[in-house]
Amino acid sequence: MLSDFGVILLFFIIGFIFVGVGLVAAAFIRPSHPNPIKNSTYECGEIPIGGPWIRFNIRFYVIALVFLLFDVEVVFLLPWALVFKQLGWFAFIEMIVFVVILVMGLAYVWGKGDIDWEKPKPYIPSIDDLVVGKKK
Amino acid sequence: MLGLDQFIAELNKSISMFLPETALVIAFLVALLLDLMFKKSKNLTGYTALIGFLVTGYFLFKQMNMQSTAFSNMFVIDQFGIFMKWVILLSSIGVVLISFFTNELYEKAKGVGEYFTLIIGMAFGMFLLVGSSNLIIIYLAIETMSLSSYVLAGYTKEVKRASEASLKYVIFGAVSSGIMIYGISILFGLTGSLNLFEINRFLAANPVNNFALFLSVIMILSGFGYKISAVPFHFWTPDVYEGAPVPITAYLSVASKAAGFAILLRFFKVTFLDSVPGNDSVWTLLGSIDWHFVIAILAVLSMTLGNLVALWQTNVKRILAYSSIAHAGYMLMAVSTMDDAGVASVLIYFFMYMVMNLGAFYVVALIANNIGSEEIDDYNGLGYRAPILGICMTLFLISLTGLPPTAGFIGKLYVFSAVVKAGYIWLAVVGVINSVISLFYYVKIFRNMYLNDVDSNKSKLTYSPASIVLLFVFAIPTLYLGIFFNDIVKWASYSANIFMGK
Repeated sequence: MLSDFGVILLFFIIGFIFVGVGLVAAAFIRPSHPNPIKNSTYECGEIPIGGPWIRFNIRFYVIALVFLLFDVEVVFLLPWALVFKQLGWFAFIEMIVFVVILVMGLAYVWGKGDIDWEKPKPYIPSIDDLVVGKKK
Repeated sequence: MLGLDQFIAELNKSISMFLPETALVIAFLVALLLDLMFKKSKNLTGYTALIGFLVTGYFLFKQMNMQSTAFSNMFVIDQFGIFMKWVILLSSIGVVLISFFTNELYEKAKGVGEYFTLIIGMAFGMFLLVGSSNLIIIYLAIETMSLSSYVLAGYTKEVKRASEASLKYVIFGAVSSGIMIYGISILFGLTGSLNLFEINRFLAANPVNNFALFLSVIMILSGFGYKISAVPFHFWTPDVYEGAPVPITAYLSVASKAAGFAILLRFFKVTFLDSVPGNDSVWTLLGSIDWHFVIAILAVLSMTLGNLVALWQTNVKRILAYSSIAHAGYMLMAVSTMDDAGVASVLIYFFMYMVMNLGAFYVVALIANNIGSEEIDDYNGLGYRAPILGICMTLFLISLTGLPPTAGFIGKLYVFSAVVKAGYIWLAVVGVINSVISLFYYVKIFRNMYLNDVDSNKSKLTYSPASIVLLFVFAIPTLYLGIFFNDIVKWASYSANIFMGK
């Protein structure tokens, strides 16, 4: 007899076999005509520029965190909305409290200026830069 | 499963028991808003935090004799938790007050608005941890308090060693909570429940694999051990204590440790107590693993390593860091007895430790305000340049050593007597030897203050009258509790009974 965990193990094994068989079979059947364009990384139809190992701007993480805040909120709102009628006012007030706390998080990030996207100021070269030996 | 109506009724009942924590959350939100609205004001969030703590204290006072569970057994309110919550609350108030007199915080350009907000957040995490009886809530509470403390440790981020402290704290914290949650998953796999009461019932009814149980509990212990900075989970302690602002160091060494010890005791009692009806003041433990011995080993390691390494330190904050590791060892010694007398002695010790340790760190902060250093050599002659600070520091250090007539002596007395009563004479002997060793490095500080550089003609230190008043707030109880300790002892023995569910 299989235990509950045995079933999960079986599931994993079958999963691996399934994928493996598909890949191996495809490797035998498909035609193989590689060329540079086919081998390039697909980037929305654009030709990729530069390597993928660049440093991301730290500001993306702040945006991602704020997004996560409201993403999670929706996860809680959906089941709440389903049973809303049975729960009545209690749940309504509770959810308002929850949303207000989240909105305060957003207000905080906003007020502290953490979602302002400050563009780096481009440096426009002037004629002085061309003078040899002059320090900026 | 509960029906929906019953569920809402349970929720309503639970919220009325959750008032202290709710007060903290509201204080946190208000502080956040005020910080946004009044950017110019200096200490507004600090005062908000104080008011929030006072309101929390009021609700906590009203809960004094309550014994119940809330939120479907996820949260416990009992006298034991309430005692620990008082320790946490009082030390939070102390830390906020100390912060007002710490110059290194105010030299920061960004202001201290977020600083006090985060202290409330951390206090909330600790309140949650003290009362939780569900492994997931324990984990969440540890994370709540840790996240705030990581930021607080590096709050003066312009200072290089503060950033270093913060980063080390985050990395060690991430690893230990990772190990802990792995242990939780093993324990869940073994017993099929996350609730400590149900785990206890399962362990009482079914035999489980000893090795797997041992492994999972050791892994969970690594999470608790990290919070109480017990050897071998202590590596972050000296660096973080040295780098963090002084009030935060004091906070980490008292409140954070109190929360860690509370959950350690609750975890062991609720999970492993064999609840035969009758007398459970001496716990009969389930299973065949000798948990006494495991904890005793941790205690011996913590005491010995903490005291021996402290001998070689030259920075006062580092000395106090290693001394706090040693103190964790003394308290673990009382935990290893695994009976209610042991629990009571841990509670007494914590109350005393809170007063004297906050006081010692406060003196360090006041001295650092003036001379900008925490090196022990810079303390030369300070006893004459700042007589009041010198006398109070001596008092706190004597108390930390555990000599009469100070609070520390009473704490140690009860810990050692609990250990001897439980029959671990060898452990008590190790503890006494360690206390003697600790005398050396505590004396080193006040030797430098009084015997070195005696006739220096350096200027006297300056401090405001208000800061001296606060100093006496710590110094007087240190002396008072050393003589009139009966009330604390009574309260602690009353609180020693950890709630075991219905």
